[in-house]
Amino acid sequence: MSNLYEWFVELHRQNPHLLKALLAGTLVSCVCGVIGCFIILRRTAFLADAIAHSMLAGVVCGYLFMKLLFNVAASAPAMLIGSLLAGVVTVAMVGFVSRFSRIKEDTVIGIMYTGVFAFGGVLLSLFSRHVHIDLVHFLTGQLLAVQESDLWMMAFVSAGVLAVVLLFFRQLQLVSFDPVMAASIGIPVLLLDYVLTTCTSLVVVAGVNVVGVILVVGLLIIPAGTAYLLCDRLGRMLWVSALFGFTSFLAGYLLSERINVAPGSAVVVASAFQFLVVFCVAPRYGLFADWLRRRRAVPQQLVEDVLGCVLRAPGTRVAVSTIETHVKGSVDRIHRALRSLERQELLQIDGNDVTFTDEGRREARRLLRAHRLWESYLEHLGTPPEQLHDRAHQLEHVHDEAAVDYLDDKLGHPTHDPHGKPIPEDFVHLVSGEKVTAALLRAGHSGVITHLDNAAGQLPLQLGMNVKMGPRDTAANLWQVILPNGESLSLDHDVVDAITVRLDA
Amino acid sequence: MSASSPNSTHANEDNTNHLAIEVENLTVSYGPVPALLDVSLAIPVGQLVGVIGPNGSGKSTLIKAILGFVRPDFGTVRLFGEPADKAKGRVAYVPQRGSVDWDFPITVREVALMGRYGHRAWWRDLKAEDYRLADEALEMVRMSDFASRQIGQLSGGQQQRVFMARAMAQGADILLLDEPFAGVDAATERAILDVLERTKAAGRTLVVVHHDLTTAQEYFDSLVLLKQRLFAFGPPEAVLHPELLCEVYEGALRVFAELQKQEGAD
Repeated sequence: MSNLYEWFVELHRQNPHLLKALLAGTLVSCVCGVIGCFIILRRTAFLADAIAHSMLAGVVCGYLFMKLLFNVAASAPAMLIGSLLAGVVTVAMVGFVSRFSRIKEDTVIGIMYTGVFAFGGVLLSLFSRHVHIDLVHFLTGQLLAVQESDLWMMAFVSAGVLAVVLLFFRQLQLVSFDPVMAASIGIPVLLLDYVLTTCTSLVVVAGVNVVGVILVVGLLIIPAGTAYLLCDRLGRMLWVSALFGFTSFLAGYLLSERINVAPGSAVVVASAFQFLVVFCVAPRYGLFADWLRRRRAVPQQLVEDVLGCVLRAPGTRVAVSTIETHVKGSVDRIHRALRSLERQELLQIDGNDVTFTDEGRREARRLLRAHRLWESYLEHLGTPPEQLHDRAHQLEHVHDEAAVDYLDDKLGHPTHDPHGKPIPEDFVHLVSGEKVTAALLRAGHSGVITHLDNAAGQLPLQLGMNVKMGPRDTAANLWQVILPNGESLSLDHDVVDAITVRLDA
Repeated sequence: MSASSPNSTHANEDNTNHLAIEVENLTVSYGPVPALLDVSLAIPVGQLVGVIGPNGSGKSTLIKAILGFVRPDFGTVRLFGEPADKAKGRVAYVPQRGSVDWDFPITVREVALMGRYGHRAWWRDLKAEDYRLADEALEMVRMSDFASRQIGQLSGGQQQRVFMARAMAQGADILLLDEPFAGVDAATERAILDVLERTKAAGRTLVVVHHDLTTAQEYFDSLVLLKQRLFAFGPPEAVLHPELLCEVYEGALRVFAELQKQEGAD
């Protein structure tokens, strides 16, 4: 490490001009990181690219203006103002065209920026006798040839942009997050849009010196994207992004000096590498964290299988080993499922014994009901008997209340599944005091009639009459309704559905 | 009730004190076809009002007009008896959930704090009072425990509550909500309704764009039935008149069948 440091110090002692490059890169990469945050949050990366390219026309125009009118060559302020104007004009044209035509914004950006860039190229070659701009430097940056005047320009740009961000932080945050609210409390949204565009243009002009037109977007958005993976607050994201901008510049710059590659490319490569590393290891939004979360998560299916196993086992206590043998899945995962169920207070685990809590038993019965209704449904559709259980086992995980109720109704509220096992009753709706359709009732239920539809109009039933439910005739699927006088009615699904009762306790 | 007749605002000046929103002969257009035509209504303070109507019936335009977002072709909006632009700080807008970037790096508390931005000039820092008001607003919607969470890590109902808190931190007396019940499950719907009702109980006026006719009667004190024109404004049982709905919703008869079935079951 100290070797690297000595080499670094020695390098700059021997080549004082490199100090300018170091300073320029540091300034520009930090301020690019800050503005980049707003660019990615507002999804205007492509627009930033457009601004960068439009600069060529601006620089050439600025150069020509001073050269032809005042015979001043390579006037830096003129070129700067030219670039700014070109950027703002491009953005304004993009806004205008996308508002007044059916062409979508990304297409308009593509049209405008290639058009303006190419116009710059035409001007440059047309006036090549007057304009001395190195197109290669412009495209790929000229970090090692930064002049003192450039450095001053960068310092002013950085100071100005940072001042704007600090002063208007709240406004910029609100405009980026919720422009409607911003406008409703009187923040000039359009003006701030232009302030941000101008800042972007300024930063791009500065950045082009370091990495060139082609790569400046990378310098703007890669550090910001990296910070975005780590931060949940805009304020923090701004400085983390600036830091990432700086580190990527430093790494790229050192790399370029060490192995003699183009500095602009090296900086952006370092930045992209940095992004990939963070993308993998970011604690919350990273690839590794996501993988870990998935691994730790207990699949819902396994949880439900465990519940089903406990419910089906004879007796109230089930040994953990019984669950291990009956449920498909690794022992480790089953244990995790058990722990998760204990946390949700659905199971009580006492050493080696597992028992239901009330809530757990209810949940398990809900699943069992879903399973057996799915089995009945599959049989109804003609599924071969040997497939019934397995397919129902897959389908029972679709146990949304409304879906299960639909199956129940469609099948005529069966009481037993195809294997002859009882289907748990609809205990969600069958609560004493609740109004339910009589079709849901099972043998032994009783209630007071509260409503009669037309289909039940001909029957000797009256509102307020207390009726009791006899055993279901499963073969013909007929409900036996026992009247207070002991008389019994055999009703089919449609008729019994027309009766609403308030369930007794 | 006076609200059902917009003309009563002229007749009875005393009433002005109790009116939160007065819309008079409002016409707004984006082209040859007006989005709103000659809409007049007066909403008393402390009401929970639902705005219903088919898609593209001008519900959002009405909200925007009350916010002062669209310039009316004709007509006026008055808030608490003042012209709308003078009462800007008294109205807050709660956006539709779909229009928010939930990945934005911002915490629950920071969103609530945004409600205070309009109260401080841009060159001044927020004061301790602002933080206190934001925290109180979060307390009111029972979101204090989530204050430092990033907003994407909340459930749908919680997300809605954060924006309610922001509106309250704004100190607004009128809250305009765009489809708060869109795409949430039944439990969340109840939770949101609970917040709306508590906000109403605190004396605020709420105007809610709503799409579900079956719950409209249960949720709101009064309803605005819009389709370009104002078809009805008043208590839900008067507005949800089958003939009226047929006229406004034309072919979409399925909705009424459901509605009537529900009425029958009650």
